[in-house]
Amino acid sequence: MKLREYEAKNVLREAGIPVPAGFLIRSADELTPHLGALGDAFVLKAQVDVGGRGKAGGILMAGKADGTKVATELFGKQIKGLPVKEVLAEQRLDIRHEYYLSITVDRSSKQPLILFTEAGGVEIEITAKEHPELIRNVVANPLMKDLPPFMIRELIGTAPKEIGPVINKLYRIFIEKDALLAEINPLVTTPGGVFAADAKIIVDDNALGRQGITVNRDLSEREREAEKHGFSYVELDGAIGVIGNGAGLTMATLDLIEYYGGKAANFLDVGGGAESERVMNAVRLVASVPTVKVIVVNLLGGITKCDEVAKGIIAAGISQKVIVRLAGTNEAEGRRLLSEKGYEMLDTMDLVVRKAVQVTA
Amino acid sequence: MIYGDKNTGILVQGATGRQGEFHIGLMNAYAKQVGGKGVVAGVTPGKGGQQVHGVPVYNTVKEAMKHHDIGAAVIFVPAGAAADAIMEEANAGITVISCITEHIPVQDTMRAIAYARMEGASVIGPNCPGLLSPGEVKMGIMPSGLFMRGNVGVISRSGTLTYEVVDELTRAGIGQSTVVGIGGDPVIGQTFADVLERFENDPQTKAVVLVGEVGGNLEEEGAKSTNLPIVSYIAGVSAPPDKRMGHAGAIVEGGEGDARSKIARLKKHGIPVASRVSEIPEMVRELFRCRC
Repeated sequence: MKLREYEAKNVLREAGIPVPAGFLIRSADELTPHLGALGDAFVLKAQVDVGGRGKAGGILMAGKADGTKVATELFGKQIKGLPVKEVLAEQRLDIRHEYYLSITVDRSSKQPLILFTEAGGVEIEITAKEHPELIRNVVANPLMKDLPPFMIRELIGTAPKEIGPVINKLYRIFIEKDALLAEINPLVTTPGGVFAADAKIIVDDNALGRQGITVNRDLSEREREAEKHGFSYVELDGAIGVIGNGAGLTMATLDLIEYYGGKAANFLDVGGGAESERVMNAVRLVASVPTVKVIVVNLLGGITKCDEVAKGIIAAGISQKVIVRLAGTNEAEGRRLLSEKGYEMLDTMDLVVRKAVQVTA
Repeated sequence: MIYGDKNTGILVQGATGRQGEFHIGLMNAYAKQVGGKGVVAGVTPGKGGQQVHGVPVYNTVKEAMKHHDIGAAVIFVPAGAAADAIMEEANAGITVISCITEHIPVQDTMRAIAYARMEGASVIGPNCPGLLSPGEVKMGIMPSGLFMRGNVGVISRSGTLTYEVVDELTRAGIGQSTVVGIGGDPVIGQTFADVLERFENDPQTKAVVLVGEVGGNLEEEGAKSTNLPIVSYIAGVSAPPDKRMGHAGAIVEGGEGDARSKIARLKKHGIPVASRVSEIPEMVRELFRCRC
């Protein structure tokens, strides 16, 4: 789950990384008591869970005189369709130079990868493409609690030495906060020292519990509902609902729908142990998506009980057509139950998908 | 076969849990069928002295090692304890560790794998179905009924999709040497490249099916590292960006790791990529045709 900017900056502040003086406000009126501390010129930043908010008008410059007016304007906006409920009012920095610093999980080395470049202020993807030589990187053995000084020296090169402690503190945050990404972009130098002008932290969804996060904000309402049942769920925009067991098989089912010219409405991995109630819940959830006209159920597993699955599909009692491919034990009984109620059960995933695409064509 | 054979004694960590107990039963049924050793010991802290399907349970891995000849371990413990289980086994000297457990925080996985590497252990997974060498050994949860012994290796980031591929191969009369599920997490122990290296040194394996998905670039890295003939399949062509498709590792991030560019890069290296799982058997046959 992605933390909001002010949450990420709180994490940085607690770890001893300097961040600009800032205040979170939930209405324009809440700005008034902070006007003195913010100084003559400050920034108002919408705290919305969406990328590219700057270009979408979510970051506005303000001053002591027009602060409340600008804040009112920002609270009245929709940023990429999202209402602005929280705004970070932040001191403006006298920026001398911008740097980029990030720590990610490197799949190839299976270790934290730390990237630093003195060529900040440009999108890192562009620098990576056009001037990869400007990006310095190291991978760190995750068993180390701190980065050894030589790694920090390798990273900062000719940049000011005061950046060194920031790198090590961010590394500690990365490990202790179960981050998949910890990024300071830009990391800036000012006459008053080094500051994290913006920060991004993504927390591992598998560690939300131990990080004290109870609600995953990145999930839509239906995705959250699915999570409660133990399903993995992603919403798409087609007409063919999909239920599979296992992430790979379910993805392959979506791909096959595309291959045959159809469009999937969703991805739902029902997980292990497809007993009838689980299947019923999955079918009902997918059927509740307004665009769904037909549902493909594709379950394969040596130990999946086909009669149980059939009972679940029948118990769901939905109005849309359900086309089923089942492979496992008690196949004959499952087929008998389904055909008795008029559901179609076919032998391969190619056959069920082709049938579903025909139905929606 | 790679990683183990009939003579490999297996330890199951989390032996007294529901999953552990269930799969000890299935693994030993398979061992009986093929005349292998199967699971010889279980470990659950605090449950030492119990038995699961006749398999003795110990409190620690080291204790189990004192009484049994153990060559591999399979982990079924909950996510919060799984990284510790990997390290305990590596520390005790077990060199092949399959971790079935899903939802382990990635920081824990990174540490456990770094530690296992220092101890000289190979970790398969986490979040994987383990491996199966037909006629020899099953370490994990793969449904053995779909498999047939032969000379095609399979490496996959998935579980049930692997079974689908194996089912297609077996129906087409193409047997498998070893099928390895390397796991659906962003950080995994044995990668495509690691398993391919083992297959290269395995006289039984003549060709490999590589089943990948969105996220990262381990498929390409692996395919480039070997001279073995390969057929590939990549799941997730229709996966939207920035969405996790069931597996923690199946995500297109920052415009990278999408299926189409993976497929394009594999094809650039001369590797045939199937658009549908059902095309795989014919493409494997084609590989053998080219070689004779």
